Order: sequence, then structure tokens, then C-alpha cells
Amino acid sequence: MTAIRIVALSVLPLMAFGQQVSFDRDIRPIMSDTCFRCHGPDASSRMANMRLDLREEALTPKRNGTPIVPGDPEHSEIIQRIFAKDGRVMPPPFAHKELTANQKETIRQWVAQGAKYEIHWSYAPVKRPPVPNSAASSAAGPSAVGPIDAFVQAHLTQEGLKPSSEADRRTLVRRVTLDLTGLAPTPAETAAFVSDHSPGAYEKLVDRLLASPAYAEKQAVRWLDAVRYADTAGYHSDSPRPAWPYRDYVLQAFRDNKPFDVFTREQLAGDLMPDATVEQKIASAYNRMGRTSAEGGVQPKEYLAKYGAERVRTLSTNWLGSTMACSECHNHKFDPILTKDFYAMKAFFADVKEKGLVPDFGPDAFAPKMPVYQPGQKKRIEALKQRIQDEKSELDRKAGSLAEERRAWQKEVLAQAHAGRLTWKFPIPAAVSAKSAKLSVQSGDLDEGEQRAHPNVITTGGAGLVIVSGPNPDNETYSVTLKPGAGVWTSLGVEVDTGPGLPGADISRGADRFVISEVDALISPNGRDAARKTPFVFAYSTVSPTTGFPAMAVLDGNSKTGFGIVGRAKSPFLILRFAQPLQTTAGSTLTVRLHQDSDYRQATIGRFRVALSSGTYSWENNPKPKPEKTEASQDESEADSPIPAGLPRNLIKALERPEPERSAEQTEVIRDYFEYSAPQLFPARLALAKLETDQSLLEGAVAEVMVTESVEPRETRLLPRGNWMDDSGDILQPAIPEFLGHLNTSGGRATRLDLANWLVSPDNPLTARVYMNRMWSQFFGTGLSKTVEDLGSQGEWPSHPELLEWLAAEFMNPQYDTAGTHPWDTRHMVRLIVLSSTYRQSSLSSPELDQRDPENRLLARQSRFRVDAESVHDLMLQISGLLVNKFGGPSVNPYQPEGYLAALNFPKRGWSASRNDDLYRRGVYTFWQRTFLHPTMMNFDAPTREECAVNRINSNTPLQALDLLNDPTFVEAARVFGVRILRSGGGNLTSQVQWAFQQATGRQPENDEARILTDLHAKSLAHFKADPSGTAEYLKIGDSPLPSGVKPAELAAMTNVARVIMNLHEVITRD
Amino acid sequence: MNSFQTDAIKRRAFLGQGVSGLGLVALNSLLSPGVLNAQSNTADKRSLGAINPLHFAPKAKRVIYLYQAGGPSHLETFDYKPALAKLDGQGMPESFTKGQQLAQLQGKQLKCFAPQFGFKRFGNCGAEICELFPEIGSVADELCIVRSVWSEQINHDTAHMFMNTGSIIAGRPSMGSWLFYGLGSDSQDLPGFIVMLSQGRGGQMQPVSARQWSAGFLPSRFQGIKLNSFGDPVMYIDNPHGIDKPLQHASIETIAALDQKRYKTVQDPEILTRIAQYEMAFRMQSSVPELVDMSKEPAHVLEAYGAKPGDGSYASNCLLARRLAERGVRFIQLYHRDWDHHEQVKNGIQFKAEEVDKPTGALIRDLKERGMLDDTLIIFGGEFGRTPMSQSGTGRDHHIKTFSYAFAGGGFKRGLTYGASDELGYAAVDKPVSIHDLHATILRTLGINDKRMTVKYSGLDARLSGVGNQGDVVTDLLA
Repeated sequence: MTAIRIVALSVLPLMAFGQQVSFDRDIRPIMSDTCFRCHGPDASSRMANMRLDLREEALTPKRNGTPIVPGDPEHSEIIQRIFAKDGRVMPPPFAHKELTANQKETIRQWVAQGAKYEIHWSYAPVKRPPVPNSAASSAAGPSAVGPIDAFVQAHLTQEGLKPSSEADRRTLVRRVTLDLTGLAPTPAETAAFVSDHSPGAYEKLVDRLLASPAYAEKQAVRWLDAVRYADTAGYHSDSPRPAWPYRDYVLQAFRDNKPFDVFTREQLAGDLMPDATVEQKIASAYNRMGRTSAEGGVQPKEYLAKYGAERVRTLSTNWLGSTMACSECHNHKFDPILTKDFYAMKAFFADVKEKGLVPDFGPDAFAPKMPVYQPGQKKRIEALKQRIQDEKSELDRKAGSLAEERRAWQKEVLAQAHAGRLTWKFPIPAAVSAKSAKLSVQSGDLDEGEQRAHPNVITTGGAGLVIVSGPNPDNETYSVTLKPGAGVWTSLGVEVDTGPGLPGADISRGADRFVISEVDALISPNGRDAARKTPFVFAYSTVSPTTGFPAMAVLDGNSKTGFGIVGRAKSPFLILRFAQPLQTTAGSTLTVRLHQDSDYRQATIGRFRVALSSGTYSWENNPKPKPEKTEASQDESEADSPIPAGLPRNLIKALERPEPERSAEQTEVIRDYFEYSAPQLFPARLALAKLETDQSLLEGAVAEVMVTESVEPRETRLLPRGNWMDDSGDILQPAIPEFLGHLNTSGGRATRLDLANWLVSPDNPLTARVYMNRMWSQFFGTGLSKTVEDLGSQGEWPSHPELLEWLAAEFMNPQYDTAGTHPWDTRHMVRLIVLSSTYRQSSLSSPELDQRDPENRLLARQSRFRVDAESVHDLMLQISGLLVNKFGGPSVNPYQPEGYLAALNFPKRGWSASRNDDLYRRGVYTFWQRTFLHPTMMNFDAPTREECAVNRINSNTPLQALDLLNDPTFVEAARVFGVRILRSGGGNLTSQVQWAFQQATGRQPENDEARILTDLHAKSLAHFKADPSGTAEYLKIGDSPLPSGVKPAELAAMTNVARVIMNLHEVITRD
Repeated sequence: MNSFQTDAIKRRAFLGQGVSGLGLVALNSLLSPGVLNAQSNTADKRSLGAINPLHFAPKAKRVIYLYQAGGPSHLETFDYKPALAKLDGQGMPESFTKGQQLAQLQGKQLKCFAPQFGFKRFGNCGAEICELFPEIGSVADELCIVRSVWSEQINHDTAHMFMNTGSIIAGRPSMGSWLFYGLGSDSQDLPGFIVMLSQGRGGQMQPVSARQWSAGFLPSRFQGIKLNSFGDPVMYIDNPHGIDKPLQHASIETIAALDQKRYKTVQDPEILTRIAQYEMAFRMQSSVPELVDMSKEPAHVLEAYGAKPGDGSYASNCLLARRLAERGVRFIQLYHRDWDHHEQVKNGIQFKAEEVDKPTGALIRDLKERGMLDDTLIIFGGEFGRTPMSQSGTGRDHHIKTFSYAFAGGGFKRGLTYGASDELGYAAVDKPVSIHDLHATILRTLGINDKRMTVKYSGLDARLSGVGNQGDVVTDLLA
């Protein structure tokens, strides 16, 4: 019997002849793949009424014979059939599944040995196995042997293999730093570790790394994949949505080593926890991270079904390592999961408040959501709100005291409006210019296509429309010179024309918004003398600006703030009131300058008109006359005769109606307008506007996040064949899959919190195993079971089942090296793994080992793999010195090729690369656009996060090469690195090259390696010396300034050397 | 699960091609025999991809998929419905619509809306095609028109995904990726799966996600590479400003030399793969500009397509598609957007016809003249059709119960019109063809048994053509 126990530890998937066969290890994988589709758990596809996954069933005689007769293969129908040479052979040819000779023999042996069934390993309760006697194996080990090594080495010993020696210290410090923080050790850190021979040096290093914020930034990445965190909605228009505070919650959880059970509970049910904290509510955004659609024509019921099913898939993959997705349409073919289990799981989420069509703009966009304040923010806003309230009351009070004046004013306004004195004039600009863009004035009529593209402005000739084309710089100033003729002007208007003819978001020339940061006006009274500034006192927009971009910001002298709209809007009209009425004569020229100096690149308007008004009361420019009445138009009164321009239609209507007959809304509009335009009220109105501007700027900086709000649960039915239109299925209550037990909720409806509690309870055999298996894959490249997403029947039997078992038990309840640990202690487990000698082995292989164990499943060495996409980005910035270490905050936009988002629409999308520090942040902060993931992320195998992803493929493609070679992010990094090399690399080329190589790889180059690089330097230098203008172009790539005093050709040559070093396989590989 | 991380041999089969480019490493030992025999003929079952040998002798070797995105109206293209004209303006009989799925017409009154254009018979086969498409009509005898395709997804995003991947759950490979994976690529210096997008003039530009050409769970080298008409034709294909071709070459050689030295130390075969990738990247830096440079195309060819090089139009993309096909690219997919005619279907279709009729006809003729039509499958169609009922009096809503597809070449029958919708063009009634059937049939003509091209993923033998028994080859469509 001792032999049997040893076999149980065996990793080899193939049975050695004569050994005891294990159903779970040997038979189930074969049967699951080849038999269960027709003879498994799903009754609907079962053939010949034969079921092989349950022993009792398999032993029951059938018409054709008894499927299995324990101990008697010759009389077992399945043995006869699998060995049959004729048409009776199983599996049948149409299944396209063939059993190998070895598999057939294994099944025969199993029947001969008594056909013992076992419960699938991952569904059995977690039981801590004894650690193999390490004394025997430790002799073979390179260093102190802990439990992990005892398991691994016991196994190696059986295989007649030995572990590798410990990696050299330079490799080790680089490996563990990359694995724990996603960054490389600095040369100083490497040197310190290499020379520290004290016994605890490695532990000290590991503990330092575990305590760094970079640890959280690295560890969060895979979790964010699994919980499908992204910054956009995912379906169709794929609009941005408020999500990043949830990403920060995950980061903080790893930083603070939040127990995994708490982490689980807060994400699934933070909102249901008693007296839920802000943090717990943010965590509940987990439930909202799935893709949503705002496509017109979405049937709410269909999409609610999709959203619910997606939640089941994510939960079951992430926590249960289970492919429950299969059960959406039918009972699972391989695992004992029923369709009703799928929908009962979905029912847990039936209380999540949501719509089928999730609006992606406007106040209800992605609701429910919650503001997330930075320290002090809320207090300041509250104080401001109070002052605004006071100021409003004061204004109302003053307005109320002017009842007489208001009546006179109403008459006056109407009279002026009807006399046309409020009309805005749109002088044809006499001259237009910009710093680099091309401005032209539309002279004739717009053609039909243009008219269709810009339905919001007057499109007939001579309307003064300015059209921008040509170069499209990040920042720009437009100058428009008018010759208004003689007159007295009270206000200037800027009509911003929006429409699908513009490249960025239909609203600007590039970005997802337009910003006018400052407006000024210069008057030359006679058109010859030098112009002088004529100040404005007040600014107002007819379309509400986006919070954070108030109209008054164009007057605040701050070029970083401005008036703007994010997303989409119909042609807003910006009104600027002159401080003093502006008098002009026939020869006067007025030059209006519109500045876009904000940090948003290319957020410049693309079409606009400049207007003047001499009316005291001019308000909104009247929109274009309504189009012809259509079938859809219900309101008869909309179609009446033209209304004098200069006032909005609804205001005129309100004014024309006798006071007692006005609706509350109309009274409100009139009051608004009175307060806006009555001279007596202006000082108070201005004070209020300033406060509101402050409020908008403050609130614009407040983050929002989608949260889970619990409502009365929707009815959840089993959908036959997954068909959302079929209402014939049973109504289901929330429940965990039946084969895993049931929740005791004392008769009440089970909640998400009950579900979360169960996930992290000892009653659930899966969570700890699943998470430990995934954790292992991060540190060895492959999970102990390599099917990290599926530990069910179709999953791979683990290479080291006892080790996985031990890790799971230790995770739930630490018993080894327990100082400072707690149950579900993620950091404890990471620490145990990286401190093991198994982890610390050299990754070098040998031909013999490659032959024996090509996939390194026995772990006689470490593995080698390319770092994650985020780390590729981070390493380049780190090597260059550009990397900005700042923890958390809004997502950022690295450079991205122009037009990359051109296939998006509603609205169209431009990409405005971040500025300053935000250009050089870690990859974990890169804006996650699901349908068009940032190219570097995409090229280096980051998942789109449209679905839960627990595994990253590690590919090696030409696009990666092109990206690393030519992406401006990396070319810029090479240049900045080049500057450092020249400054710090010592006095001659060889020392510089050596220094650079050391910076990037952590090791000194061999002599011939250095020589290869100096050869390239010589070639590069000759090239750049011969091409000064090309050199200048090369050095201009990227925002970071070029330091003074560098010789261009020298820097360019060194930049090219740096670029080559940064492209080395070694730099992006963790050995 | 996926087994690609360790699937070293297959990976290198593709990567090892043409490694002599920089003359640094010989990877001959890693080449699969198929690569060395790239000049196979159609009767041969050898392949350069994961399916080797092929399950059947292939008729088609490559695919050009002219994807009309937005949902082209079958009623104004390939499916003539005079009975609908007679009911114009009258209520849609409830017998058709009761309990059926609707998109934007939910809760609206449903009225019949006549075909907005007449149809003509074209070719010896007498195929009925809308009169707006005379150029497509002129090659009617090459066409196999299917009037009975139906889908399950009524919104653009999910319908695109269903059409491209056979599933609505993100993470599945697209058709092009499956084929690139299964068949490999004949091109030494271009990716095996190329995507192009063009826009229409009508302003009905529905978004198209990169997911539509994703490799899903297959390795990312099988993903579609987007060829852009503006800026860099392929992302990062141009050298940084100031770096010319010789210096880029020298730089890549230096990288390869250093990687090679590293390989000698650590013996990691992944390094050889990376070297090969850099060589491929460098070759692409030459081949892609050469590909998109149409200046050497004779004037009569440009004229035939209506292509103006560099304008990013559907016409130019059709010509590019031919150039890609000539260069051995396995799967070429053109998206032409702007078919979403909720309003003004009459104008809308006219615009589209002006944009696609001539180039589509020209492409088919051109391939035929070059002897390439026999082994190139051309697919013409979108993600769904449009309602026989009107929307806002002038348009048509999304419709999934029936719509039309046209095929040319690649082993499909010629001059055939197959299947039928009911007399109002509402539902496929004669020989309905599901998307899974469509996929199975396309794979079949390329030499693949759809049930046998599987990859283990999440415990499933994942396929392009659905799960279980889904996907029947429509043998009647194949010659």
C-alpha cells in the first residue's frame, strides 16, 4: 500500500503500468472530455439512457448490458465498446473524439480495480494535508526548506529529479522586485542586495517590497482583470464612465493587506453591510463593472438578462473557478451544475438597481453613482453652497422688492424684442488668424452635406461662420477682427457650432470636449491706432457648461480654467457683457481673441461665429427656425410664426402671456431673466455668478463612482435555452449551486451578503483553492492546475494537489510562520511563496530537463516569462527616469496614435494625451477603453476586460516590436534616458554604454555586448551628424523638454543606443 | 483553458517564416514542413496552420469579407418583395409580427413600407437584384445569393459579435482569427488577417469595436491588424522622425545580435521567437508602405474600382483587398459603415449603392481576370437586415428574421439564388440559414470541418460555428 500513496503524489498524467488508478485524477478527465457530453449530468443530451458520472447509475444493468461491472472489465459494456473495432465503437466517429490506447487501458484497469468513484477533488472540503517529511528532501534543496518546498521536492525526488540551485543574487533581486512591484530594482538596490550576505537579507528585501505602494500597483492588475474594471461602458458607443475610485479601492486593499474575506464581502455586498462606509459603498461598484449598452433600440429586458448572466460568469470564474456560463442555456455537460443553479445565482443580483438601457450622458448617466470627496473638498463645497444660498435669497429679496420695476421691464423687453433691438448681429469678420491652424470665413451657402452635418447654425451665406482647418495643435488662439460700424455694443457673443463634421466628439477638433480658456477683445476706435483691451464683466452660456468648466472662467485670467462642454451639446452660445458699453465708429476695428490654453489637447472649437448686441437685454441667440412640421411633432404651438431673435422662444411666450395665466415654469423663466438683465440687480447677480463659478470649479474636481443600490428584487426566471423572451421558466430564489450545499437564511430571501459570506466560509471548497492556484501562476507562470479559470471536471488535475490543498488551508487559516498574520491573508501567502526555495531557484534549464519536463510543471527550476503589459510600459519609463510615482487618482492618457478611436461614435471620440506628470504614470492608471484598448496594453496581451479574465496569454508578436521601437512614449523615454546616460554614464562612450546597459538590465554587459552597442553608436552618430533637421525632429518626440546645452547629434545617437537597449528581450523578461 | 503558452512548436511554425531576412539566425529546425512547401495547390490538404492536414481539399484559400456594417436593407438590395409594395402604408399584418422582437419600433404602430427601388434581372442566371446595383448585377453569374439568413441579435454591437465570432460573449476569436490560426498565412511579410474600415456619406456611422477582429482566447498574433487610411497605415509602422531605413535596420540588427548573445547564455527559445518577430516587424515596415502605395496601379484599374489612392474609401479598400489577396493574406475584412437607415432609407441606400456597387463589381471581375476568383471567397453582407415596416415614415428598423448575403468564388455555386423569405420579406421561410450554418459552410469551402476545428477554452471544445450540434454545412451552396 505504500506504493499507492506515492502514486497519489505523482504529477505524471499518464498511468504507469500496474499502478492504482484514481478516478478523480485519471478517469474523470478522460470521461469528461469524451463521454460526459452524451452520458453525463445533462439529461437533455443523454444518449441510450446511460449515465457514467454517477457510480450507482453506471452499475445499473441496461438493455444493452451493464455499463460497468466492477472488477470485471470483460463484462462491462463500456470496455467492450471502447475497444470495439466496428460500428459499435465508443466514442462514435461523429463525436470526433478518439481515445488513445493508453486511455483505453487506463479505463480497463480502473474497472478491473473495482471502478471506485471519488468526488471531484475541488468539490471536496479543503483539508490541510500533512507536510511531507522535509528532512529527507531538504538535503537536495538549495536552502532552507519550508512546507512549499517539502511538497515540491518530495515530488521531484520521486521523479528522480533535483531542484536547481538558487538563482544568482542579481537575478533573484530582479525577479522578486518585478514579481512583487512590477518595476525593476534600481542599480543601487541591486548592488545593496548583491553585497548583503547577512542571513536575513532576502527576507528583508521581500518585506521591504511587500510594504511598498508599488506592490499594490502590481498585485491589483490581475484582480482588475478578473473584476473587469474599465473606464468605459463596453457596448456600442463605449462611453467613459465613473469608475476609477473603485480601482483605487482595489489598490488600497492590496496596499493595506485587507483580508480577502472582507475584500470579497465589500465588493459583492458593501452596500448591504450595516452602516456601510463610503469605502464599502465604493467597493460595491464591483457589481456595476460589467458592460452596459446605451444603444438606441436596446430592449431593456434583453439587456437586463445579459447583465445578470455576465455577473454569474464573473462570480463563478473569479471565486469558484467554475464554468457556470455553460449552464445559461442547458445543464452543464461535465460538472453537476444545473440551469436552475445558474439562474438562482443570478437571482442574488436581482436587487441591483439598474436599467437595461444605461444612459451614458446627462445627469442620469450611469446612475446610481456617488461623489467621492478628497479630504477637505466636501467642507469647502458645503460652505460655498451655503454662501450661494444666502446670495440667492438676497437676490430674490431684492428682485421681489422691484415688483413695479419688473412690470415696466417686462413691457420694455417685449417692446424692444418686437422692435428687433435685441437681435444679435453677426458681422462678417474682416480678418481671421490663428497661431498655426487655418481659419477661413464662410462666404457662400454651405453645401447640402455641410448643412446636414451642422444643423444647429444658420447656414446661409454671409452668416459670418468661421471654419477652422489645417494644422491641429494642442493649444491655439483664434483672432477674429470685426468692423462693426458705428454703434454702441453691450455684449459680445460666441456661437460654438457643433456637429458631426468635426473630428473630436462632434464638438472640438480633437478631444472629447471643447474649452475656451480666456476671451479678450481689443478695440481700435479708428481702426488705425493701437488696439486696447476692453474688459468684460460677466459671462453666460445658453447651454449649461459641464461642471468644472463654468462660463465665467473665460474671464478669470487663469489660462488653465475655461468654459467648456464635455461630450456633446447643441451649439452653445457664450455671452460676454462688456464692462462699459462699447462705442464704435465707422472705422473702428474690434479684435476678439479666443484662447485654448487648457491642459486638454486639441480641445479647440472648430467652427464658430462672433456676434455683437447693442440691446441692454439681449439674451440667447434665437435658434434656427424650427424645421417643417413632421408626423412626430405633437405640439401645435411649436409651428407658429417667427419670433424676434435675441430672446429665447419660451421666454417670449411667457412674457406675452398675461401674468395670472403663466405656468410656474414660465414665472421661473421670467424671474431668471429679470435677475440676469435688470441693471439694479446686476451687482448681486455678479456676486452670485462668481460663487457659482467657484462651486463649479470645485465640484469639477470631485470624483464620482458608480455604486450598487439595493432595491426590491426583480423577478428572476429560469430562461429556457437562455431565451430572454421565454417567460415559461420557473421563478427562482437566490441560491448557491445545489451540489455545493445551501444557505441557511432562516427562511428569508438570501442576499448578496449571504452569498459573499458563503464564498469565504469553510463550507465553500472552491474560493481558496481557486485564488491560491491563480496566485501561484503569477509567481511561476503557470498555475498548479494550469486551467486557472476552471477547476471543474474539464480543468486540469493539479500538478501538486497536496501543495494546492495546503496553500488553500493556510490561506483560510494560517498556521505556519503566523506572526502578524490573519485569516485570508493575501500578503502572507505571497510572502510564503516568494520566500520558498522553489521560487528562488535558477530558471536555467538543461536539455535533459527540457526533455523530461518541457512545461516545467515539476518545478525543478523557476520559469521565465515576459512581464505584463503594464510593466512593459512602466519599465521603459522607469529606466528613462520619467516614471512618476503617484498612488491612485483619475485614469490617465498616454500618447496614442491619432485616429485610433475613429471607429467609435455617439459621440465621436478624440484622444487627448495627458500633460506633465500624468503622461508618465504607471500602466495600471492608463485609461481603459474597452473596445479600443490602449495599443500598448493590447499589443502586450492585457485583456480588454469586457469579460472576467483570470489568465493572460503571453504572446510574442511583430506588433510588440513595432510598438517598442516606434511608439512615441518609448522613443521619448529613450531620449530622456539618453540625456541621463550622457550626464551620468562617465566620460567615455564605453563607460556610458556600460552604465546604460546596467541601468536597463541590472547587469554589466560583456565586452562584446558593449562593443556591439558602441558600433551602433558610431553608425547613429554619423547618421545624425549628416542630418541636422532629422536629428531635431527625432529629439522633438514627446512633451518632456530638451535640456539646454546638449549637442543634438550626440544626444540623438545616444538616444538610439538607449532605444535599442530598451528593446532587448532581457529588459522585458523576468528570469 | 488555453494551451498556447507552452505550444511552442505551433507558435514557431508561423514565426519562423523568412528568418533569413536579417541573416542572423537560422530557425529551420523550427519550421513546420508545411511552411517549406508553401506552394501548395488547391487539391492538396497541406496547410500552414494548426489544421494540418486540412479535413478536406479546400476550394477557397483566402477570404475577402465585404462587411456592410449597420444592417443593410435586404428589401433594397437582394430580396425583391412586390407584395410589400402593394401593402405600402397599410398596417403590417399581425400574423407576422405578434410576439416578435423589435428594436426601435417597440411600442410603435407597424406599417408596411414598400421597397423604395425596383429590381431587375441580371445575367444568364436572371438573378433579381435592386436596380441601384448594376455593377454587382453585371457579375450576377458569379454570385451565390442567399435570401434566407437569420440572426439572433438585434442590436449592432452584439449582432456584429455574433456574426464575427458565433457568440455574444466577449473573448471568442473572430472568424478571421480562426482561419489564420487554422490555415496559417501565405504571406512572409504581412499579417494573415487584415481589417480596413471606410465611412459612408450618410451620417449613419455606427461604432465598430476592435473586438470584431479580436483573436479572443487565441494568441494575439492571430488578431486582425487594422490597416488605416490616414496616419500610419499600421500602428507604429513608421520609423520615428529622423530615423531612416538603414539606421532602423542597423538598430534592429543590433537588438538581434544582443538577443542572440543572451540566447547563448540562457538558451530560452522565446528569445529566438522575439528575434524573428523583430525581423517580421522590419519586413512589415517595407511591405506595408509598398502595399498601400497604389501609384503603380494602372489608371484603368483605378478607374474600374473608382479608387482614389489614399482617400480611405470603400473603393480604395477594395483595390487594397485585391493587393492583399495577391500577397497571400488569408483573411481580409472590409467594414463599410453607414448602412443603419432608421430614416431616409431611400437616400441612404442610394448613397451606399454609389459607394459600393462599382468597387464590389470591379473586385469580382478583377479577381476573375487574374484567375484568383476560384480560390478567393468573397462575402458581401452585414450584421442583420431591416424591417419591412417603416420607421418614422421613411426608414426601416433593425431586423433579424431574414436578410440577404451574397458570395462569389471560393467554391460557392455561381448564378444561384438560394432560400426565400415570406412574401413581405419578414421571415426566412424557405431553407433558412443560421449564422452558425453560414460559418460551417464558409469553413467547409476552406477545407475545414467546423466540428473538428476546436480549441479547449473554459472547459469547452470551443468552435466558430456554435456549441453542440449547431452549424450545418449548407452543401447546396457549394459547387
